[in-house]
Amino acid sequence: MPSFRFKDHKTQQLSQSVGEVLSRNYSESEFFEFAPYDPTAGERGGYSNYSYWGSTLRSFAQNKVAMFFLILMVGILAFTVVEPMLPYAPEANTIYKGATNLAPCKEYWFGTNSIGQDLWSQIWSGVRTSLLIGLAVACVEAVLGVIMGVLWGYVRKLDFLFTEIYNIFDNVPQTLVVIIISYILRPGVSTMIFAMCLTSWLQTARLVRNQVLIIRDRDYNLASRCLGTATWRIMVKNLLPYLVSILTLRMALAIPAAIGNEVFITYIGLGVPLEIPTLGNLIKAGQTVMMESTLSYQLFFPVIILSIITISFYIVGNSFADAADPKNHVK
Amino acid sequence: METETILSVRDLDVKFTLRGQVLHAIRGISLDVHRGESLAIVGESGSGKSVFTKTFMGLLDSNGSVTAGEIRYNGQDLAGYTTDQQWRTIRGREIAMVMQDPMTSLNPLKTIGDQIEEAIVLHQGLKGAEAHAQVLKVLEEVGIDQPERRSKQYPHEFSGGMRQRVVIAIAVACRPKILICDEPTTALDVTIQAQILQLIKDLQKKYDLTTIYITHDLGVVANVADRIAVMYAGDIVEIGTCEEVFYDPKHPYTWALLSSLPQLGVKGEELYSIKGTPPNLFLEVKGDAFAPRNPHALKIDFVERPPYFEVSPTHKARTWLLDPRAPKVEPPEHIKHLREQGVNRHV
Amino acid sequence: MSEQRKKLLEVQDLQVTFGTHLHPFHAVKGVSFDIYEGETFGLVGESGSGKTTIGRAIIRINPVSGGQVLYRGERISGRISRELDRKVTRQIQMIFQDPMASLNERAKVDYIVSEGLYGRHIGEAERQEKVAKALADVGLLPEFASRFPHEFSGGQRQRIGIARSLIMDPDFIIADEPISALDVSIRAQVLNLMSQLQKERGLTYLFIAHDLSVVRFICDRIAVIHKGRLVELAESEELFAHPLHPYTRALLSAIPLPDPIAEKKKKLLVYDPSIHHYDQETPLWQEISPGHFLLASEREAAEWQREPSR
Repeated sequence: MPSFRFKDHKTQQLSQSVGEVLSRNYSESEFFEFAPYDPTAGERGGYSNYSYWGSTLRSFAQNKVAMFFLILMVGILAFTVVEPMLPYAPEANTIYKGATNLAPCKEYWFGTNSIGQDLWSQIWSGVRTSLLIGLAVACVEAVLGVIMGVLWGYVRKLDFLFTEIYNIFDNVPQTLVVIIISYILRPGVSTMIFAMCLTSWLQTARLVRNQVLIIRDRDYNLASRCLGTATWRIMVKNLLPYLVSILTLRMALAIPAAIGNEVFITYIGLGVPLEIPTLGNLIKAGQTVMMESTLSYQLFFPVIILSIITISFYIVGNSFADAADPKNHVK
Repeated sequence: METETILSVRDLDVKFTLRGQVLHAIRGISLDVHRGESLAIVGESGSGKSVFTKTFMGLLDSNGSVTAGEIRYNGQDLAGYTTDQQWRTIRGREIAMVMQDPMTSLNPLKTIGDQIEEAIVLHQGLKGAEAHAQVLKVLEEVGIDQPERRSKQYPHEFSGGMRQRVVIAIAVACRPKILICDEPTTALDVTIQAQILQLIKDLQKKYDLTTIYITHDLGVVANVADRIAVMYAGDIVEIGTCEEVFYDPKHPYTWALLSSLPQLGVKGEELYSIKGTPPNLFLEVKGDAFAPRNPHALKIDFVERPPYFEVSPTHKARTWLLDPRAPKVEPPEHIKHLREQGVNRHV
Repeated sequence: MSEQRKKLLEVQDLQVTFGTHLHPFHAVKGVSFDIYEGETFGLVGESGSGKTTIGRAIIRINPVSGGQVLYRGERISGRISRELDRKVTRQIQMIFQDPMASLNERAKVDYIVSEGLYGRHIGEAERQEKVAKALADVGLLPEFASRFPHEFSGGQRQRIGIARSLIMDPDFIIADEPISALDVSIRAQVLNLMSQLQKERGLTYLFIAHDLSVVRFICDRIAVIHKGRLVELAESEELFAHPLHPYTRALLSAIPLPDPIAEKKKKLLVYDPSIHHYDQETPLWQEISPGHFLLASEREAAEWQREPSR
């Protein structure tokens, strides 16, 4: 387990310097003479070796469950990238004639589907697409949500306008927007991403705004205003660092949420076309053969992978948010 | 006045673990608290004064523990208490505490009357109308007008001073033997401050309480304390009667605390100030903890921890300056004659 | 005495109102006073008296709803030009009450201290030099620049706060209860530092406090505020020697004395606002003796002056 003790050398230095002062070797005969007085010695004394990021990482590393899921998550992410480059890897949509509905075996690890495609390659290709959607949506959501949320919360004049906009858009169900957009534009991965991005940042923006409202009038922000610090600088330096904990949690949840959304929209037939493997398409295909117990593996494998991804993002995000909260930096 | 010891602490050590490091918060304190007295524990933040008294009620944070020594109360060693069940026999009913911020000890969702009644029902065994009558009596006692109306209000409808009165009412309603007041007036305005101190003093007389004040301000305890213990870096460096500590202080730290009071400052001249900050208790303290900030430090202060030197049967101080071999050092000029000139020149 | 002294700041009939039109809360109700160049002006009152609001109205964090504030004869309240805004931001600085809350926990001391310099096109080398000098000026060690605020004690943090305003090279500093949150033992450090800086740089202070014992030591003139109104204003010695308003007297009697015998003899005065009958007689802000102002009706003024002040 890594120990993340970045700052310990500082404590050591301090120990040494204080130690030097205190362990001067005086002979007994001079014990009752005045000692030389060094005013800076007193200033040095109160040092505590606390570092926000160091403590956050250490506190996260101490959470064994979270570390396990982090490794799992990183492993899956790395593998989806590496998988198509592996020497044996077939193209995901390759159809093996005569090899339909084969149960998992040595050649087809996850079996094949009803038209004879290798489920293993299909699933990793699907994970790739789904993760792409998830990451893209989460990134846009984070960037837009944070910018809008900070402006909304910090600049008083914008509050009314933003609140009205939010109220209007928030009343339109997100699914409906996605359905309409997919209907208007050509269905596909980019349409999916676009449609989801259109509305998802609203929630993040509101979350950020509420947090900013809580801290905007704290003394240190007033101090920055008294110093004439530019508003954008206050936002970047004074507000954002305090939102790290809630933002990471939000992001960690946004990725699986977007993947889940994709699954749902694709499942009802409005999402990504069948020829592009995504977790949604795979689950949909699996569901149609679910009733036959010998074929149920076609549903189980994509669902298990989806669950692992969702759960690891959730647990890692949650634990990191906890670790980033200074209140938990005691141990 | 013959003294009977109600609480006796011997060689108490308290340690905290924080981010893998050990903080030695209390470094071997021994102290007898006398029945019926009012004792003030004075020290800077971080001196361990709150931690020290929290050990009497088992209120240390979960990362801290008593690692050595004993706390004798009523023939029991409180330092050996581990379960909440054991502590429940002490908390509130034997030893009660008034905190600095009254809001933290009141339930914002319950009326003041209900909160006081709860304590009365639990500790005085009264019920129904009797308990209610007692609530009104208690409120009146702590100086709250219109108790009938006020008892139906919630904490947020009270001013800071009034809230503190309510907290005191609740603490006293449990009929404790010892009342610990942890910076009871720090958050309050000066005018309210004096009134609250007077109230505690009155209640002490009425209910024969032993009170322990914790404060960083020597100035506020002159009126209320019988004895004063000065704490520095987890240790009591000087203890004596109120008059001994104010009029004849022996430890350079006590000198420094007294001289830095703005009440004693002379306009246009520099106020005496203690340089630097208290030591980091994560590091082992060698010798006298105050030495690095003490302009009168002797060489031995950096080598060996001073023992207590007795000045009078009630007055002792931990400083090598009291050793017969030490050079004679006079306390700063302007605190030397406190008694003769009084501070009246200031008001 | 003040004819030849220049007025640095004039507060004229200042009013600050919070809340909505339907439920207004008048925090400051028509306060006027002048602050002369180079002096320390004390503003004393209990929490909720409006003293902090006045300070924040001067530095333009709280909007003014009536009256005006003049700085070197120029109006700085309400809408002002960009140029004046920049000048005033540089010249008026603030020290906050709670050193735990007023420093950005996520930034290093280096950034915090030099925050005011960003946007002024100052080179990195010059910036670092200024930080080192500002830290030295407040008695902190240069190596502290690379640390985070939570590594410091209350007194050190407050000095970081002072360094941050000093780097702007201000003329006027509003100190909003700069020592109330500090241990008594540390207060002297900060007070001495403020006096010393005043001597070296000819600073003018508005010193806001709730405790008269502190202001007396540092202030030249003191104004006492109660419920959004000034009740008395005089030179410090005069105010302590001849307090007239019963609220001032109550404040004075509440100063704790570090002297057990004197303290036990002391009589605590409690101010009871119901002694005024302002529905029948209007109180006036009047100059009782040169430089000594009092809020009182004519009857009260006469009565209070007759009573021995202590």
